[in-house]
Order: sequence, then structure tokens, then C-alpha cells
Amino acid sequence: MYGFHGRLLHIDLSTGQSSWRELEEARLRAFLGGIGLGTSLLYEFAPPGVDPFAPANPLIFTSAPLVGTGLTTTAKFAVVTKSPLTGFIADSLSSSHFALELKRLGLDALVITGQAASTAYIHIKDQKVKIREAEQLRGKSPGETEALIRSELNSQAVRVAAIGKAGENRVRFATISNEGRHAGRGGVGAVMGSKNLKAIAVCGERETPVAKPAGVEAIADSLRQRSLGSLTDKYRKIGTVANLAVFNRLGTLPTRNFQQSTFDDAEALSGESLTEHNFSRRHGCASCTIRCERLFKALNGAEQRLEYETLFALGPLCGIKDPEVVLQAAQLCDLYGMDTISTGGTLSWAMECSEKGLLPEARDLRFGEPNALLAAIPLIAQREGLGALLAEGSKRAAVEIGGESLYWAMHVKGLELPGYEPRSLKTMALGLAVSPRGACHNRSGAYEADFSGEVDRLRADSGRGALVVASEDFAAVLDSLIVCKFLRKCFTDFYGEGAELLSKVTGWDCSSDELKRIGERIHNLKKLFNMREGWRSADDWLPERLLSETLPTGVAQGTGLTSTELREMIQGYYQARGWDANGLVPESKLTELGLDG
Amino acid sequence: MSAVVVEPARNNASAVILAGGKSSRMGRPKALLPFDNEPLIVHIVRALKSMFAEAVVVAAPDQELPPLPATVVRDDVPYQGPVGGIYYGLKAAEGEFCFVTSCDVAFTNLALISYFISHISNYDVVVPYWQERFQPLHAVYRRSVVPLLKEQLERGELRPIYLFDKVRTRKIGEDEIRRLDPEGLSFLNMNTPENYEDALKRWERKMRLSLTCTVEFFGAARLLAKTREVSLALPQEATLSHVLSALAERLPILVGRVINRDRGSLVSGYTCNINGLDFVRAPGAKICSGDKIFILSADAGG
Repeated sequence: MYGFHGRLLHIDLSTGQSSWRELEEARLRAFLGGIGLGTSLLYEFAPPGVDPFAPANPLIFTSAPLVGTGLTTTAKFAVVTKSPLTGFIADSLSSSHFALELKRLGLDALVITGQAASTAYIHIKDQKVKIREAEQLRGKSPGETEALIRSELNSQAVRVAAIGKAGENRVRFATISNEGRHAGRGGVGAVMGSKNLKAIAVCGERETPVAKPAGVEAIADSLRQRSLGSLTDKYRKIGTVANLAVFNRLGTLPTRNFQQSTFDDAEALSGESLTEHNFSRRHGCASCTIRCERLFKALNGAEQRLEYETLFALGPLCGIKDPEVVLQAAQLCDLYGMDTISTGGTLSWAMECSEKGLLPEARDLRFGEPNALLAAIPLIAQREGLGALLAEGSKRAAVEIGGESLYWAMHVKGLELPGYEPRSLKTMALGLAVSPRGACHNRSGAYEADFSGEVDRLRADSGRGALVVASEDFAAVLDSLIVCKFLRKCFTDFYGEGAELLSKVTGWDCSSDELKRIGERIHNLKKLFNMREGWRSADDWLPERLLSETLPTGVAQGTGLTSTELREMIQGYYQARGWDANGLVPESKLTELGLDG
Repeated sequence: MSAVVVEPARNNASAVILAGGKSSRMGRPKALLPFDNEPLIVHIVRALKSMFAEAVVVAAPDQELPPLPATVVRDDVPYQGPVGGIYYGLKAAEGEFCFVTSCDVAFTNLALISYFISHISNYDVVVPYWQERFQPLHAVYRRSVVPLLKEQLERGELRPIYLFDKVRTRKIGEDEIRRLDPEGLSFLNMNTPENYEDALKRWERKMRLSLTCTVEFFGAARLLAKTREVSLALPQEATLSHVLSALAERLPILVGRVINRDRGSLVSGYTCNINGLDFVRAPGAKICSGDKIFILSADAGG
């Protein structure tokens, strides 16, 4: 087998046993690696209706066929589990050296079930698995944990993915972090914490042969060249923080818990301004020529990585205008291992509740109050005081508080919304509503249609369904090969080039149509998993605020989205998917995609 | 950038125009060169009088001048260089501070002059720094520096720059200037017949243009442009292609990086949005007066 190892490692933390199992080529060809393979394994390993924090909920790490090929931006891995935030699929990606080392173990997937008796970490070196005591690592940040494990194992070759205090305390939006990068959304870190698993340390030596090395190298060369051109200027020259100023100007910057879509102080927080005043250095993942990461210097001298989503969520969404405060808040989230989007989303909900008298115990927690924001983050990570409520995420916290607070909880399926205002990005609104992961900007890039000019982004119509389907299937393939999204514009014919690349890596004779079908299959299987876990039509919906209030400021002032418009778009989407009017996947579609077995 | 409003200068401000140079390279008196159907000195004084209550023209003792709506003073000692001219002008002016310029700068940019004046309250001199040189003959001076200029003249220090070290001087940087005068036309002196011909052509072109729009830069384009926005004057019936062409002339750094070398289209990876509403890349897209044109990354991911 080329491109894959054809093997899976299953570790049961309750028994301490591990076993290797074959992964059939047909399954790998049907789902590839990354998110696709992870979804397939989740469907198999998760008992129907399993509690996300139950030992039986599998925590699945997957590699992918392009990992280790040297192709730019492909040093990535996926983490898939049942989300403690949504109760549906959680599929997150992270990247860099851990991804390379994971594959060098000689596996395509690592499935972890059970629960260790006390805090432990897994050490896998080549074929040997050890479950080690980790009480001494409790409370440590992911970065500290990584350093301590490398020191304990006396190895710089070992790579570590770890959780912080938030994961240990089952904060429902905790991350799994490696080398400063994070599998961020959906609470995968909380699932890891529920297994008393602090970290996974890997060190391998098995290279993965590819079928046609010269052909792969030629494509790699070409993509490397393309990745250094103007198509990636944004990522190479300023990073994703570039979104903030222009989103503000376009009226798509969620502000003060989605009460507005513009922020008066956006320029002070802009990526352009940060680059001018706080830039420290540029960094990149392993095997990446784009190197989009930007580290900014905080007043305390520390360097902090900042992405647009973090900047928006801890900045305008919470009414914070001081970049220094955002940098410090981001630092705290990274130290404790928490998803910055859900942290900001949950805090901005709490700020609105507090300002409107529904959280009397958190009177200081108000929009634009830096000290209250910075004080709240450690409380969440430690589940102390108000933090115990907020650690549950905005959906559960709002159910607890009740009343109008339910109206201010800005989530889909329990996952807090990312930094794209749905009312002024109608295709994105649909994408967020129907995404299996909840309010997600990664498993589809529906906003691309809105920003391309091919549709009127301020108006809804049922034709958006086909655009969202195309975007989701595209993302499913990208996330399963895996190729970084920031390379996506460098392909002139993604499916054609992707199929050629996959053929040269695996030796398969893969066509662009087959690749498209794989994307569709993966997305449908995610939906099947969610259906099995209790998905109902009402789960494909947006927060009521977005359907009741029009935007009060900016170029999109007066723009809203009605329930009727959203319903029509969703129907258009179900139709484009070949699903029934209730959003259920019919048997015929399962048969068509080979999912009926 | 906050918008600069051109307001009539306060009553305590005067304009001083130095006209007493030798015009040796031009071969004829610069002050009398025909410009916009009138002598150049008239053209300049008229423009400045729309802003300043008082205009003072400093001329050589025997220099011929047309009738002017200005106070004309003559150098006691001719050809003492810029310091002499500034000294005699400031001495004759009534304002507490004076905007000083020369008679061969045809493109009077009142927004830029307003910007200079807005900084004088805490300084004695506000002087632009353009293309790595101070521009003392397009600067604002407080009249209190007159004694120092007199001492300079007595010592034979004929370069105004010596003054800047002795008094509170506000240097206006190139970035600040470009926001209001991107091409630096305020510093376009006419020293030779070729300079004069060039200025006439520029003026004719400016007169032909009748549509204005604003271009706002975002992301990597802003980092390159080193400014958040620029205003452009364009012909009627302008298209996106005209915008990009004018931008290429204004900010050559963008050519090959953001604007294609044909100067009429954007390179891959960049796009335009008009007024925050319409995303366009087609060079033929129509532009209307007052449009705000954003130049941004074509990739909204992240």
C-alpha cells in the first residue's frame, strides 16, 4: 500500500491494552484520511448515544495520505470524537511536526477509548505503547507539558499533543494543543481530559512510500512555487488577522455579542495596525511554505500567536478595543488550552446577561471591560465561581440562566459562532445553520461565495444550497487529503489536480469525479452520525437574534435575515444534497454513496 | 486617517510668496509665466487668497509684477537666498504666523497647507520633509523667528535649515504628506522650461478630470501602500481600469504586486469592492463620483 500504512492502533486506557488492526484499502479509498477516515472510525467505534465524557466515547487521531510527502501545507492531522459541546461530531485539525511523527509511527489512525485510573500520558515509540504516570503534569499548560515530557523521555525527536487545565477540568470547549497549534473547536480537549489523558507523545521511524515519487515531487514543486505567489499574499504578508479591518468595513465583523457588525475601534485592533506596532516574528508549520503564523509582542514581553478568529472573539465580540488586552486574553486561552472562539462567544453572552441584569454575580463582566475579561478566563479553566457555568459553553449556560439569556446565546448546535456576521453574508448564514459540527467556518467556506461577487451577499435565495454543498464537499476532501485551506486558491482545478496527486501518492487510478464523490460521501456520513446521535431538523437553525434584529450600523445597516428566508435556503440545501424535506438522508442516497453497508 | 477639512485660516495667519529669484535657468521671469490663462504669480496669489486674509509678495527691488491682490515688499538687499526672502516676508506680514511658498509652485494644495497650520500652535516652524529634503519654501513660520533670521543673514547663513535646529520645529513626514498630496505636487518647482512644460501638462490633465473617488487599502495592499486611503481624480465615465491606472501612477510600489503591469487590472489574489457592497474584478466596472473602492485580498479565509 502506498500513501497509507493500512493500520490502526487502538488503545484502551481502562485496561491499558493496545492492539493493532488492519485498515482495508477499500475503506481508505472511500474516506481517505484526516476528517474522512476519522468520521468513518467514529461511526464504527462510538456506541450510539454515548455520553461524550463516557470512557466509551472514542478519541480518534488520524493521519492522511499526503502527510510526509513533502507537499507544502500537508503536515496535518485530525482529531475526531463526539463533541461534549454539541453532542454531534467534533472534527478538528491541527498541524506541524506532531502530524509527521504520528504518521511515522506506522499507522493511519489512533483510536483511544476508556479512562485511565489517574492522570496519564501515552508514549508511543515505533510499535511500542506505554501508558505513563502524569500526576506531575496536572495543571501544566500544553507548552509546559510538551517540554516536561520531552525532558522526561530525554528526546527532542518526540512530539507531544497535550491538554491544559481546561481539558483536565472538562471545559466543554477545551483544545488539544501541539507546538502552539490547536485542534480547537468542539471540545476535543475535554474528551481527552475525561479520559484522564494529559498528553500523547509520539516518535516514529516508518516512512510511507509513495507510488510515483518523481510525479509527486513534480507536483510538489509546482505547488511550492504557486504557494509563494500573490494568491497567498494575505497569509504570507500579514496573516489571517488581516480580516478584521476589512470585515469591519464590509459590515461583517460580529461585535458585542452580535449586536452590531461594525466596531468603532476596529482600526486600532486591525491586523495592519498590529503588524505595524506589535509584530514580533513570522512562523510556520512543518512542511509549509506559506508560513501564515504571526507572533505579536505583548507588553509583558511574551510572544503571542494571533489569528483573526481569536482577535475577533476576544476583541470586538467582547467590546475590547485594546490589542494588548486581546494578546493577554489569547495568551491565557493558550495556557489553559481553550478554544478562543467559544471562550469569546461564551464571555460575550455573559457580558450581555450581566449588562441586562441576568447575571448579578458578575456585575463587572461588561462589554469593553478588560480586567473582567482577563479575570474570567482562568475562572473558566478552573471551573471556579462563575467559571463553572461558563465552562459549559453558551448553550448550556443559557439554559441554566433561562429567560432572555437564551436569546443571547449565539451558537449553532451548541458551538459558538465564528467571526462572520450571517446577516450580511447570507450564503455563510446557511453554511453555519446546516454544518454538522455546529457554527463552523472550516468544514465549509460558504463565505467565499459571499465575498466573490457571484451572489448578492445581503440577499437570501434558495440557490445558495448548491453553493454550500459544493463548499462542504470541497472542504471534506481538502480536510481528508489533508491540504491546508490557505493553499486552496493555488489550484486551478482542485479536483483534477487533487485526483492526479492522490493517484501518484497511492498508485490508485483516481478521477476527479471519484474525489468529488468522496467529499460527498464523507459529508453524508457526518450527517448520518449526527442523525444517529439524535439530530432533528430544528438543529439546523440560527440563533433567534439573527432572525429578529437588523444590523444597526455600517454598510449593511438595516439588513436582516428572516425565518422564512432561512427556511427557504435550508430547503434549497436539502434539495441540493438529495435529502428529504426534513433533512434526512434517504436510503437511495446511502446506496448511491456506498454507505448502506 | 482623519479627514482634513480645508478651512479659511485664522486671521492671525498670512501667506508669503517669494518672487524675487533670478529665474536664470528658466531664461525668463518665473512669476510672469502664463499659467491657467494668467501670470503664474497671479495664479498662486489668487489660490492662497481663498484661504488667507493677507498675502505678502516679496520681490526683488526692480522686479516687474502684474497687479496683485497682495502687499508687495521689496528686498532691501536683493538675492540673499531663501532666508532673505522669508525674513523680509515675515517682517512685512501682520499674521502671527505665515505660510511661505515660492512663486513657481503652481499646484497649491489647500488641504495640505491647512494640515501644516493645524500643527503650528506648539511650534515655531512646521516644515515638510519630502524626498529626503526639508522644503523650507513650502512651510509655516511663526513671526517670532524674525530676529533669528536676521542674525542668520548677518552671519551669512543663507540656508533656512540652520533655523530648524534653534527653534521648535515640527517636521511633516512623507507619509503624512502623501495622505493629502500623494504625488507631492506641492513641491513641484518650475526651474527650467522643461519643468514648466511638464507642469502645464499636469494642470491640463487635472482640469480634464472631473470625477473623484477614494481608494481604501486593506491587508497586504495597505502595508505596501503605507497609507489607508488615497483620493483620486478621474475622467468622467471612469472604470475600475482607470482607478488602477491612476493608482499605479500614484503608488508605483503596487505595480507588479497588487496591480498588473498593464496597470489596468489586479493581480491574482486581490479583488475590489465598491462601497462595501459590490465585489468586482472586471476592469470595465463603472466607477461613480464619490465611490469608495476597497482593495483587499480575494481570499476571505481564516
